[in-house]
Order: sequence, then structure tokens, then C-alpha cells
Amino acid sequence: MSLNEHTPVHHSTTEPDRSTEFTTFMRAYQDMVFSTAARLSANDGHAEDIAQEVFLRAFQHFAQLRASPTAGGWLKTVTTNLTLNHLTRYRKRWRLFSDLRKTAADDESSSPEVDVSVPDTLLADLGAEQRRALIDEALRKLPQHQRVPLVLYHFEDMSYEEIAIKLHASLAKIKTDIRRARAALLPHLESGGIAADVL
Amino acid sequence: MSTHDPDEALQRLLQRTLSEMPPRRAPATLELRVFSELQRRAALPWWRCSFMHWPAPARVAFLVICGALVATMFLGSGAAVAGLSSLLESGSPSLFWARQIGVLMVSAGNLMALLARTLPLTWLYQGIAVCAVLYAVLFGLGAAVYRTLYLHQPLNGK
Repeated sequence: MSLNEHTPVHHSTTEPDRSTEFTTFMRAYQDMVFSTAARLSANDGHAEDIAQEVFLRAFQHFAQLRASPTAGGWLKTVTTNLTLNHLTRYRKRWRLFSDLRKTAADDESSSPEVDVSVPDTLLADLGAEQRRALIDEALRKLPQHQRVPLVLYHFEDMSYEEIAIKLHASLAKIKTDIRRARAALLPHLESGGIAADVL
Repeated sequence: MSTHDPDEALQRLLQRTLSEMPPRRAPATLELRVFSELQRRAALPWWRCSFMHWPAPARVAFLVICGALVATMFLGSGAAVAGLSSLLESGSPSLFWARQIGVLMVSAGNLMALLARTLPLTWLYQGIAVCAVLYAVLFGLGAAVYRTLYLHQPLNGK
């Protein structure tokens, strides 16, 4: 994982070695932590708050994490859990008002089956950063109940079963949501204008 | 272009596309925020940190004091109530305010009981319904304000 090239932070502490080590540790993982939180939450401000909380917890366990080969996995798990907690806590109360129309539209009976023409490659003629920006924007436009399982499946490499357990939903619903999220992602990518020739 | 199973083809395509995506760059402020918060926490006096970070003698002392307080409450509450009752009955002028508060609370209780007996039941139901409607309206207004002012605000300039 690439290190960030931010200006070093100078801070007074009684354990300079530990702080230096933690700075290095943080720079190695902060992009991954922030990406995970941002893609799940679709909100950069919340993602930064979550990333801050993740690293504060990491600092508390730094004695174990500093030499652990599974530190990245630990950070990813904590980030995922904190983001899901955040989404549950802050969005659930508004679901009644915000998702009524979407829920009705996404109803099993009213939604057509996925029928898309699938290209062999996607955004192949774009640079990595352009592609990243376009896909992140497309993910941001997905409704939460589709985006979250899609991100967990494709970015966090979780299985359908693991996602169903994590989100307290049925396996069938998770599979349906992910399938629809994939189908919904394609038009968003096409609407970016650049993918049209590829698709 | 298309394969036998479009779902599976789309899954493979997205998996390939998304797995090649570089991570997003964390904001430059993140590192500063984390270290500022660590410094703030380090500067806190021990009694404002979480209990697990207290010095061992302080933790032991705290537990002992809490245990003593609980024991005192159990053992002494009966005696305290009896003592207070006798003091109130003795008519001491220094406890005039306590008697007044007691009288006030009894009067309020009597008033509520009287209202519950005399008011028609339909009035009570109508009152509850009005409260429920007002609650729903306020909840809806809150949701609308949240969605208008907060949920749709630009995210970090995006």
C-alpha cells in the first residue's frame, strides 16, 4: 500500500518513538481506512470522522498492532463495523421519510429482472484516477440498501452469507440488492459520458 | 459482448473493475485531527479519562467507596426515613419548607386523581390523539429540515 506524502505532523509526547511509529503506521493505512468508510457511507465528512475514531482505537491497541501482520485486516474490520453502526444509528430514524418512495420502487413485485448487455471491459480507456472518481460517484448515487452490500461484496471480499449476517438481512434480499446494485451501477457509469463507447 | 448469464458476466466485470481501483486518498486533515485528539486526551487529568485508564489505587478506592455507599444506603435508609418522619411530626420550624413541599405534592396528586375521575374518557382520548398528531408533525418537520439542510449539503466541496 502506498504511503501518503502529507506534511509530517510534529507533536509533543512523552513517547516520541511510539508516536513516530504510529505516524508511519497511520500513513500506511489511512487511505484504505478512509476509502472503506467513504464507499460504505457515501459521505466524506462522516468517513473522516469514522477514520479518526478507527485510528484512535488503533492507538489504544498499538502495542499489539504495531508488529501484527493482520493489522490491516483489524483496521478494515473496525472501519466496516463503525461505518455500519454509524449508518444504522443516523439513517434508520429517517428511513420512514427518505426511503418510502425508493422502497416501493424497489419492491420485489414491481421491479423488473436484471437484463443488461454486459461489455467485456469497463472504462478501459480511462486512467486509474479518472476511473476511481467515476465509480466512486456512481456508488455514491446508489441507495444505501444497495450500495452497502455491493461495497462489502466487491471491495471487502465478503461472501453473500457473511454480508447477510453482518446486515441482519436474509440471504435472498442481499443477493437481490447486490444484483440490482450492479445493474444500477452500469447506467450511472454510462451517464458519465466516457463509458458510452465502451458499453 | 454479452455472455450466457448476464448477471454472472456483470458480476465478473464489476469484480475485475472494482478490485483494480486504487484507494481514495485520505484528507490531509485526518492525520492532524487524530494527533490533536490524542494530545487532547493525553492532556486530560486522570479522573476525566475512562475508568480503565485510572491509576490502580484510584480504581480500588473508587470501588471501595461505591461499595460503602451502597451498603450505607441499604442499611441506613430505613433509619433515615424513620428519623425524618419523627422530625416532621415534631413540628420543628426549621423543617417548615419540607412540610410545605410535602403538602404541595399531596395536593397535586389529589388534583390529578380528581381530574381523572371527573373528566370524560373521550376528552382523555382526544388529548392523547392531539399529542400524537403534534409529535408526528414535529417529527415530520424535523425530518424535512434534516433532509433539506443537512442531508443534501455539499460534501467537502463535491
